Amino acid sequence: MTGPARVRRPTRTQLRGARAAAGFLLPFLALFALCFLAPIGYAVYESLLKVERTGTLGLGGETKEVWAGLSNYATALEDDRFTAGFGRVLLFGAVQIPVMIALATGLALLLEAASARWVGFFRTAFFLPYGVPGVIASILWGFLYVPGISPLVEIAHSAGWDVDFLSRGAVLWSIANIVTWQFTGYNMLVLIAQLKAVPGELYEAARIDGARGWQIAWHIKLPLIRPALVLTTVFSIIGTLQMFSEPKVLKPLSNSIDSGYTPNLAAYNEAFTSNNQHTAAAEAVLLALVACVLSFGFLRLVGQREPKEPKGAKGAKRVKGSKGKGGTSR
Amino acid sequence: MSETYPHRSHDGRPQGPGRRAVLGGAAAAAAGLALAGCGSDDGDDEPKGRKKGEKITLTFWSWVPGIDKPVDLWNSKNPEVRVEVEKVSAVDGAQYAKMHAAIRTGNPPDLGQIEYPVVPSFLIDNGLLDLTKYGVGEHKDKFVGWQWQQSVFGKAVYAVPQASGPMGLFIRRDLFDKWAIEPPTTWDEYEAAAKAIRKKGAWIETFSATNGNRFAGLAWQAGARWFGAEGDTWLVSIDDEPTRKVADYWEALVEQKLIKTIPDRQNAWYKDVQTGAMASWLGASWGDALLVGNAPKTSGKWRVVPMPQWKKGDGAFANWGGSTTAVFAKSKYPKEALDFAIWLNTDPESIKLLIDNGYGTPAAKQGYATSDLDVHKDFFGGQEYSEVFDAASRGVDTSWRWGPATDTLYQRLGDAFTAAIGDGGSFRSVLKTVQGQTISDLREKGLKVKAG
Amino acid sequence: MSTEVTQHIPADGAPASGTGASESRRPGRRRDGRRPPLRHRVITVSLLTVAALYFLMPVYWLAVSATKSSSDLFGTFGFWFHDPHPIDYLRRVLTYDDGIYVRWFGNSLLYAGAGALAATLLSAAAGYALAKFPFPGREGVFNVVLAGVLIPGTALALPLYLLFSEMGFANTYASVLLPSMVSPFGVYLCRIYATAAVPDSLLEAARIDGAGEARIFTVLGLRLMTPALVTVFLFQFVHIWNNFLLPLVMLSDSDLYPIQLGLTSWQGYADRQPELYQYTVGGAFLSVLPLMVLMGVLQRYWRTGLTEGSVKA
Repeated sequence: MTGPARVRRPTRTQLRGARAAAGFLLPFLALFALCFLAPIGYAVYESLLKVERTGTLGLGGETKEVWAGLSNYATALEDDRFTAGFGRVLLFGAVQIPVMIALATGLALLLEAASARWVGFFRTAFFLPYGVPGVIASILWGFLYVPGISPLVEIAHSAGWDVDFLSRGAVLWSIANIVTWQFTGYNMLVLIAQLKAVPGELYEAARIDGARGWQIAWHIKLPLIRPALVLTTVFSIIGTLQMFSEPKVLKPLSNSIDSGYTPNLAAYNEAFTSNNQHTAAAEAVLLALVACVLSFGFLRLVGQREPKEPKGAKGAKRVKGSKGKGGTSR
Repeated sequence: MSETYPHRSHDGRPQGPGRRAVLGGAAAAAAGLALAGCGSDDGDDEPKGRKKGEKITLTFWSWVPGIDKPVDLWNSKNPEVRVEVEKVSAVDGAQYAKMHAAIRTGNPPDLGQIEYPVVPSFLIDNGLLDLTKYGVGEHKDKFVGWQWQQSVFGKAVYAVPQASGPMGLFIRRDLFDKWAIEPPTTWDEYEAAAKAIRKKGAWIETFSATNGNRFAGLAWQAGARWFGAEGDTWLVSIDDEPTRKVADYWEALVEQKLIKTIPDRQNAWYKDVQTGAMASWLGASWGDALLVGNAPKTSGKWRVVPMPQWKKGDGAFANWGGSTTAVFAKSKYPKEALDFAIWLNTDPESIKLLIDNGYGTPAAKQGYATSDLDVHKDFFGGQEYSEVFDAASRGVDTSWRWGPATDTLYQRLGDAFTAAIGDGGSFRSVLKTVQGQTISDLREKGLKVKAG
Repeated sequence: MSTEVTQHIPADGAPASGTGASESRRPGRRRDGRRPPLRHRVITVSLLTVAALYFLMPVYWLAVSATKSSSDLFGTFGFWFHDPHPIDYLRRVLTYDDGIYVRWFGNSLLYAGAGALAATLLSAAAGYALAKFPFPGREGVFNVVLAGVLIPGTALALPLYLLFSEMGFANTYASVLLPSMVSPFGVYLCRIYATAAVPDSLLEAARIDGAGEARIFTVLGLRLMTPALVTVFLFQFVHIWNNFLLPLVMLSDSDLYPIQLGLTSWQGYADRQPELYQYTVGGAFLSVLPLMVLMGVLQRYWRTGLTEGSVKA
């Protein structure tokens, strides 16, 4: 990594710098290699093998791993349950992410517009669910979904409305609700931070110019928080593709969640329940591929203005500036 | 056969060195750096055998409630061979996922609670120890024949049977009486009872799509044979006539809305059991503790009657659940582990403690009386309910065999029934789908297989 | 102030369409004054209140349910108390199975605390190096790390498990801690921040004074990067605390479980031991409390740090 040979006319300082850089980078890179690069390589390798068993009925005989080519990928892609899981997650993302981002944006703008006294309370209330881990959120909402126990179902029923949150048609959106509940506040906070970074003078000016509240929001605030919107969207896409704990926790409660409800759940079950690590590896590789393509694709799509470091620097300084203005967190 | 019992170096993977090299290349730099002292220092996995006077600890994975009581008793009697219970979650087959994982990790416990249906799936992983060379054979006569046979493959014996779960019908006698409904003795009467109960606003039962275990029991009773062997080839016949009969029957109940379709033994189900919204449960002998624990306020109102028959007076029964105490292949002290497993399942004191905690019908022939099993007599209004299960146990068709991927099979059944109930597909198509999937699942595992 | 503002408009180039449209409405708007009309405020507050009800309702349910017995959990109306015994039940949660709950809590703290701390330091060092030392291949390294941000962590969990199994340290503390110490996002953030906030001139001056690189980093770099480091720490802390798949896959020994895994295992065998339903709910409540307090208190840091992340896009 240090490659001093490549440095042209290495002066003493440069050499020292390169050595120092290597020293700073190596610990991270070593762990990165272990926990990111190695598993990817290993998954690819495993996905190209399969098991052959000998002995009567395969019991007590020998187990061999042999070259399988792409047959595990074929198995994974031919498995309706796995592909259906992908479709489901994409549908989920296409609906849930825009809804959540819109909700977060709306709340952020409302908080900006509200009079100061209650802002702190509301912001905290919206953000609290982010402190509830997905598993616990799912256990919690699970109780609020199960008919016969859920007070929500009970209330709805007494209002003459029979809902079944766990039915086949509804359960995906019940999961979407859990995710939305958890992450809207977080996304809202990101957006608020970006809004605070916008110089207050700009609003002031627009207002003096006679712009109404919603006009300011639409024409000034939204374009300015675009980078934050992009960031939250990318994170949401990644989060959606890895969806696991919600369906896993809700599965026993609902007869509508199958073992391949999300690609991640399918891979998990393939590896652990069915004990087919090679197919599971192929599924993990496919999942990582799709995630990368989607995230990069989205960044491409919105990223005509590639920001360079100086812009980041500006952002960082702005925040410091906005902190100085203060008052908002109280 | 025992020599195929694998130490990692000997498990016949021709690519062994290559794989290791790949791994080494990818991770060596990283691993070497921060990991000193993190890895397992167990060294070789050769069974050690206990030296005299040496104190050892065996780990035992189980989910049976109260299993710690007989274990404590063992520990007080055998201070040198301590057994430590680790409770594992039994939801959705999680316990077996963990065990498979641990086998692959090369770090399984010494002993595990493994149900009959899944024993074969551990064998194709070479996960269990053939106990014959440690003298398990001499204990054969202590156990009920068919339960012993469930862990015998070829000449090898892979587990010590613990208990079975002959099926029976739990009913709310008070409700049946109030509504003047006779407890059903045949499946026709069961359907009639379901209709009558439905008219009273309650339900007779639920058909849980994800409970492949019980569905297998129902097929078993009807005379199905899902798995068989022909030479070294597995025969799969999930889509056979008896199973179709069962599928048609339950499909009709679901279609007529005579039965719920919520998952069993989950929050909503418990609520129904507590409130009487569900007036019966087609369960198994271990179910008494479950009802007592979860619906204590319904005490005295329950009775047990035999499982309904396809033809009146048939006397065909089935088994749901039931498990073994198995010793994992990597156990360092197989002799001691076997001693414990035998003691746990035959010693009268141990059996008594197990019975008190409701673990099912013992696999041991001696050391208890049937009436000892009536632990919760009061809950069942003084009925000697274990007689019912005992009779059922004798009527269980003992030629039923489990295949090598039962967890996957349950999952397949669960997925297919989920889809069928959700989309209104036929239950017959479920069988057809699962039959096909199971054949390819076994093939994927590198086994020879064909439709039976 | 106002003069400054008017000067500001052309300089900042407010959106043309916006200015055009607002120009015509200027007189009307002026008369409204600067406070939004009452009607708007009522609508705003009502909307916010509805949202707050939505976000707080499950938490309220959890608080109520933590005081109930298992059978009341199923048998009584969820949004109201019934025969509450909060202290008694919570004590039982803490003492059940020799206090395993406390151990799980400690494990979670260890994973999240130590993992996040290590991740922060590693990210700081790596980000600092990428920002301040030009070396061949630097952008390449940075891009690989960036790709790491976009790969779902859970897609890696399975292969990582298989890999760790082969290497023999699945089911150890390290198997969860090591992957938790890697935060590509942290490196990304630290690089951007270091580029902006650590002036080269300062580093040069320190070098001329004869300070070693390690010392310059620890004394100057870390201090100047503190705001970003707080963000990375918080971000990673919550990330590890919430991570379910990795410990689920890696750990089989319940003594090593973090809290969520422990609670799901309780829920898992609650059908055999009904009181565990109550413990699951009570345990969930106890585990959520400190995190939520933390969220509330540390909001300010979140907001400060997060903007820096968002400049990425």
